[in-house]
Amino acid sequence: MTPETGWLPHASRHLGAAKGWTVIFSAELLVQTVLSGLMVGVLYALMALGITFIYSIVKTINWAMGEFYMIGSYIQFVAVHYLLGARWWWLAAIISAAGTFLVGLILEPILIKPMYARPMQRRDDYATVVTIALLLLLRSLAVALGGPNQYRPESDLPVVWIGPLPQEGARVAAFVCALLALAVFWIVIKKTWVGLALRAAAQNRVAVQTSGVDVYRLDAIAFAIGVALAGLAGALLAPLFMVFPTNGAVTTVKGFEIIVIGGLGSIPGALVGGLLLGLAESLGAAFISSPYQNVYGFLLVIVVLIVRPDGLFGERGREA
Amino acid sequence: MQRRKLLGAASLLAVLATLGLAPVIAQQEPMVFGLITPLSPPGETALGQLAKRGAEIGVEYINEKGGVLGRKVALSIHDSAGKNEQGVAAYRRLVSSEKAVAVFGFIHSGVNIAVNEVAKEMGVPTMGTQTGASDVTAKKYDIAFRTHAVDAPRAATWLGWIQKNKWKRVTVIAETTDYGIGLAKETEKQSKEKNLGLEIQTIMFDRTTTDLLPQLLQVKAFKPDAIVNVGVGQPLDLMITQAHTAGLLPGAQMVTSYDAPARPQFWQLHGDKGVGISFVAFYSPKSELSDLGKEFAKRYQAKFNEPPVYAALNGFANAIVFADAIKKANSTEPKAMIKALEEGSFTGWSTTPVTFPRAEGALWHNWSPPLMVLHYTAKDQTPATAEVAYVLAQ
Repeated sequence: MTPETGWLPHASRHLGAAKGWTVIFSAELLVQTVLSGLMVGVLYALMALGITFIYSIVKTINWAMGEFYMIGSYIQFVAVHYLLGARWWWLAAIISAAGTFLVGLILEPILIKPMYARPMQRRDDYATVVTIALLLLLRSLAVALGGPNQYRPESDLPVVWIGPLPQEGARVAAFVCALLALAVFWIVIKKTWVGLALRAAAQNRVAVQTSGVDVYRLDAIAFAIGVALAGLAGALLAPLFMVFPTNGAVTTVKGFEIIVIGGLGSIPGALVGGLLLGLAESLGAAFISSPYQNVYGFLLVIVVLIVRPDGLFGERGREA
Repeated sequence: MQRRKLLGAASLLAVLATLGLAPVIAQQEPMVFGLITPLSPPGETALGQLAKRGAEIGVEYINEKGGVLGRKVALSIHDSAGKNEQGVAAYRRLVSSEKAVAVFGFIHSGVNIAVNEVAKEMGVPTMGTQTGASDVTAKKYDIAFRTHAVDAPRAATWLGWIQKNKWKRVTVIAETTDYGIGLAKETEKQSKEKNLGLEIQTIMFDRTTTDLLPQLLQVKAFKPDAIVNVGVGQPLDLMITQAHTAGLLPGAQMVTSYDAPARPQFWQLHGDKGVGISFVAFYSPKSELSDLGKEFAKRYQAKFNEPPVYAALNGFANAIVFADAIKKANSTEPKAMIKALEEGSFTGWSTTPVTFPRAEGALWHNWSPPLMVLHYTAKDQTPATAEVAYVLAQ
């Protein structure tokens, strides 16, 4: 096999042709694959963060999270392709996040608030049914409005070299923006009054309510922030993974895998879970067997469930 | 009063049935042709839409010419979304509830193969509009027909193109579907049998994967001269985009396994990155059309303001061939239709007559279009202006 050339020592090795596909190993390829896995892991984490954040405040799993990702990607496409142009992709991403925030702010009082505002025994079942119905509605709406075709917002960002790994500019930009978004999110949660109130609501809704805080308003803000994170992920990934009605489905599955790995409701868990999932998928696909790329994430989930059933950063639930 | 009216209507129906007039009324009902095609993701929606357009014009044409056996034809359209189970459910509904007499429009081989397993029991013939996997017809089911290139000539096309350019290192990167696995195996098989001296790297991937960079880094390490992109729909486009990210393109040559780059939205999706892409095509606007094909092209251009592409031509021709087979059989009874299809020679869009011989292997009940490789040398080219890089000798 032809040895690799590059800045790392040559250690090229042919791992054989198992079941019809050839696997090549070299130190350089390993570094490239690890970098690729870490980058995609941060982007996955953004999605997982939205799911876990909504859960920690509203105590509801939003099954339509992928559809907010999809809305973000469509807004990005329309903004870049028809209104702003490729140069203003970052402004389009902010508009996409703001747009999905607004959609979340409008939908939460209609769909989620009744769960708490009215006496209800099976809240989890209600939330599941409502968010799955929302998923179907938004997906059908996308097909009706945009057709089934794929679209891609233009990107004029040049290829960037990260060590030995050439990366499309849009991917690097998405990675940097995702890290920035995570940092801003952390600052909002840790340093602002709204963040304090949200953290308090996550710990004890009743106590916060008795302190005079409008918990329903906090729910709406939390839901909107969560879906805005998904919308931002959709906007940032649109030039890479394209825009079509079901583009959020795979990312949602990854998001749920990450929150199981990191722990439901844990913000550091979402980041670490995303990175681990990205690494597991990339390394497994590159060096074990590529057809099972999606299986490696589930294997990681199973291992974590066996070793730490509440996730790496999850807290053990207490029941009276 | 109401009850009396109902009783009256029931009595009238009973009298009509007794006099043998009921069949006359039934004859006025349209004959149903079923179209099972991907109209929503993750299916190859662009091809589904094109096949649907062609089939709709085909049914319009048939009805303008007086229908079939004195009955109008109705097209019942079902979305498979590229999912086997959804396609099978659609076939069952078409045959049992809607009494369809023929079913076509298949784009995904997996869906076609799964439907054929049910169709062989339920009896209504199917026609693969753009399904390439051998097993669609190689199982030699009486009901299974196809008007598309199978794995062997398709692999021969890109291998011929690779040979012509004297390339030696080739990567086949294929999705883990019947279509992808079949083509990957066929490429390796033919390369060995023909002793082409190629070094082939085969990489398979799950078609729901959105990040193909790990696989493409493996490809990059192999340093291929040519890459055969055996993705369908979204994975095909993702591979083009991400191969640029990995730095594989524009260095290596990439050929896609079917004519997806002929779609109008190709350039919107890929822009400058689409330049240099080659694709296997089954029709070029430079190809000669039959009179029927010319008539279709005229209608298609008038209706959609663009020239027809292959999937639309095949969707149209499938409807026409089924209608002609029913006329030849003078019946919609499946066995009579199958006999007519096997023994008849039909006019499709091409100048080559459409026949379905009981041939060996995947060529069973199969009519194959001409195959060629088209190459985009500049942005915004169309199949009409693309370079014809290779033509497979028929």
